[in-house]
Amino acid sequence: MNKKLLASVLSVAMAASVLAGCGSGTASTAAPAADTAEEDAADETADEEETQTEEAEDAAALAYAGEINLMHYSTSEESEGNGGSDGFRTMIANWEEAHPDITLNQNVLANDEYKTQIATMAAADDLPDVFLLQGMNTKSWAAQGLVLDLTDIIKESPYYADYNTSYFTPFLDGDKIYALPALTGGTCTVVVYDKQMWADAGFDSFPDNWEDVKKANEYFEANGIEDAIAFGNGGQWQANSCFLSTLGNRYTGKEWFQKLIDKDTSAKFTDESFVKALQFTQDIFASGVFNEDFNTITNEDAREYFIAGDAAAFIGGNWDESYIAATLLADDEEKYNNLGFAVLPQPADATEDPLSQNIGLGYGLAINTKVAEDPDKLAACIDLIEYLTGPDFSDYVAKNYALGGLTKVEDVDLSSFDSVVQSFYNWSYVDTTTCEIYDSYLDPAVWSVCNTDLQSLMNGDMSAADVAADVQKAYEENYLGK
Amino acid sequence: MLKAIKPKMSVVWGFLAVPLIWYVFSVFVPLVVALAYSFFQWKGGPKKTFIGIGNYVQLLHDGTFWEAFGHNIYIVIICIVGQIGIAFINVLMVNSRLCRLKGVHRTFGFFPSTISAVYIGMIWKMVYDQKRGVLNWLLEAAGRPELTQNWMNNKSIVLSLISVPLVWQFIGYYMVILLAAIAAVDNEIFEVAELDGANAWQRAVYIVLPLIRNSLLVCITLCVSGNMKVFDHIYAMTKGSGGPGTSTMVMALYGYIVSFKNQNLGYGACVSVAIFVVSLAVIGGSQKLVNVIMKDKGVE
Repeated sequence: MNKKLLASVLSVAMAASVLAGCGSGTASTAAPAADTAEEDAADETADEEETQTEEAEDAAALAYAGEINLMHYSTSEESEGNGGSDGFRTMIANWEEAHPDITLNQNVLANDEYKTQIATMAAADDLPDVFLLQGMNTKSWAAQGLVLDLTDIIKESPYYADYNTSYFTPFLDGDKIYALPALTGGTCTVVVYDKQMWADAGFDSFPDNWEDVKKANEYFEANGIEDAIAFGNGGQWQANSCFLSTLGNRYTGKEWFQKLIDKDTSAKFTDESFVKALQFTQDIFASGVFNEDFNTITNEDAREYFIAGDAAAFIGGNWDESYIAATLLADDEEKYNNLGFAVLPQPADATEDPLSQNIGLGYGLAINTKVAEDPDKLAACIDLIEYLTGPDFSDYVAKNYALGGLTKVEDVDLSSFDSVVQSFYNWSYVDTTTCEIYDSYLDPAVWSVCNTDLQSLMNGDMSAADVAADVQKAYEENYLGK
Repeated sequence: MLKAIKPKMSVVWGFLAVPLIWYVFSVFVPLVVALAYSFFQWKGGPKKTFIGIGNYVQLLHDGTFWEAFGHNIYIVIICIVGQIGIAFINVLMVNSRLCRLKGVHRTFGFFPSTISAVYIGMIWKMVYDQKRGVLNWLLEAAGRPELTQNWMNNKSIVLSLISVPLVWQFIGYYMVILLAAIAAVDNEIFEVAELDGANAWQRAVYIVLPLIRNSLLVCITLCVSGNMKVFDHIYAMTKGSGGPGTSTMVMALYGYIVSFKNQNLGYGACVSVAIFVVSLAVIGGSQKLVNVIMKDKGVE
C-alpha cells in the first residue's frame, strides 16, 4: 500500500516538475535577471545624487500599488562607461525608491537577445507593461494594437515644452506617437581618427573629401600603417547603420527618405540618387582605403585595429566611440588626447548636406495596450516613462557624460570635462547636422534584404542597380503592402 | 513476491506516460502548431491572416531558401565523406594490432564532440582570420605569403571552410559508434581473413564494411539529419548572417532570420515545415542509396 502511495506521489511530482519546467520559460529566465537588476540598482542607489531622489519623491503621488513589468537592455555590464545606460539604470533606481508601493519586475537582457525576445513576446501578445520599442517596429506593432497611443499623454506631460520633438519621428504612425524616446541621442556614423597620424600624413584635420583620404592612404601604406580607415561589416548591419544611412543622405537628401517613410511612391530605392550612393559605396570599399577584411570582421574587431594603431581612423557608432575613448584613456593617454571626430567625407558627385550624420534615439519607452484596462496602473506607467526620459535623466547624462537625451538641457557646462569629451559633445550636437538612421524606420525585412545585398555589393559580387531593385522589391512587399 | 517485482500494467503505463507526454509536448505539438501557423500571414503580434498555401507558393519561388537547401546538401556530402569516412579509417587504424594506447586515441578522438558548437565556431573563426589567423600565419611561416587571403570572404570556398570544423568535431563521435560495432564482431573472422591472405583494403571493404552495415546506416542517418539542421557553427562563424551575402546560408539559419530578425513568423513556420519535409526526403533517399551500394558489394 505504502509503495503504491509512494509510486503515485513520485509520478505526480515528476509530471508536475516537467510541466512546470516547460510552462513558464520566460518567467523563469526573467526572474534571475530581475533579481540581479534589482540588486545592482540598489547598489547604485547609494551613490546617486540626493536632489534627484527628492525630485522623484515630489512626483510620487500614485494610487497604484502592485507590480509593473519593465523590460530593457541596459545591463549592468553595458552601463559601465555607457552614459545612456548608466543614466537609465540610475533613474530606474530613483523611481523605485520614490515609489515603495510599486514593485518593478525588470527583465534585463543584452541588446541582441532583447530584440529577439521582445519580438517573440509581441508575437505571443505577451509584452511586458513597459518596454523599449525599436523605431522600425512602431508602425506594425501599432497596427496590431500592441502599443498604447501616447499622443495625448505626451502632450500633457509636464516636460512637453522641453522635449526635442524631432526625436519622436521614429515612433510616429501618422500623427500618433507610440513611445517616449529613451536613452541618449547618439550618432551611428562617426569617423574617429588619430590627429597625430593624419597630421603626419599632411592633414591638419580629417579630410572632407575622399580623394584626400586616398592620398593619405598612400602615405600610410608607405609608412607601415596597414589601413587609413578600419571598418567591420561582419554582422551585415554595420554597412547600413554606420555608413550607407549617412552616405545615402549625401546623395538623396532628407526628403527622399521621409517620402519612403510616408509611403509616398514618388521616392524609390531604385532612384538614380540612391543607386549612385550604392555605387559609391562599392567603389570606395574597393579602393583600398579600408581594411581588406571589412566584410568578415565586426565593428568590435575593427575598432581594435584603430586602438592598436594598425589603422589611422575608424568608422562606427557612438557605442564604438565610448569604447575606444574608455580603452585609450586607460591604456594610452597620449593617443586618447589625439582623438578627433569627423563626419563622413563628401563624395565628389554628392550634392546634399556635407555635414550630415545620422543621429537619433533608436528606442523609445512604450506601454502595453493592456495596461490601459487599469487606470491607476496606467498612471504609474506614464509616471515611470516620463521620469525615465525627463529632465532628471537629461541632467544626469549631461553632467556626468556630456550626452543629450529627449529633454533639452540649456547651457550644458562642459568645463569639467576634458577636451576629447567636449569635442565629441560639440561634434554630436552642435557642429553637425542630422539625418535619419535608416533602420529606425520601415520594416526589418526590408533591411534584412538590404544588408545581405550590401555585403555582396561591397565584395563586388552584385551591381548597385541589382541591390536597389532587390531593396525596392522588399520595401513594396513588406512595407507598402501593409 | 512476484507481484512486487512485476508491477501492474497501470503502474508501467503511469511511468511511461511522463516521458511520452513530454515527448509529445516538446516535439509533436510544436510541429503540428508550426504546420498550422504556416498557413497564416503572421508578421508578429496577435493578428494572423489565413492565406492558405500562400506561404508555400512563396517558398517555391524563394531563391534564398533553395540556395540554402543546396548548401545543406553540399555540407551533408562533405560531412558523410569527412566525418564517417575519416572515422572509419581511424577505427581501422585504432583496431589494428600495431596501434598502441588505444584508449588515448579513443578519448582524444571523441573530445571535440563534447565542446559547444559556438566555441568550435569561434575557434575556427580565429583559425581563418585574415590578419591574426593561424592559417595565414602558417602559410607565411612556410614561406608562401602569396597564398594567404581573407578566407571567410572567398565565396567560392567559404562553404567548404565552414564544413571543416563540422567534420573535425564529429569524427570522434562516429568513431565511437563504429568501434562499438566492430567490437561486436568475432575477432576470429578478421584473423581467418588475414590468414587467407586478404590485404588491409580487402579486409576493410569485404569483411568489415558488410559486417557493420547496420551501424553504418545509423551513422549516415545521424550525419544527414544532423547536417540538414546545422545552425550554431555557422551562426557563430558568420555573426548570424550566413554571409558573405548568402554564401553560407543554410535552411535553419534562414528560418531563424525570417522568423526572428524579419519577424515574419508565418513564413518562418512554413520554412520550418519545409526543412522537416526535405530533411525526411533526403534521409530516406540516403538510406535507399546506401542499400543499393551495399547490394552492389553483395551485402544483403
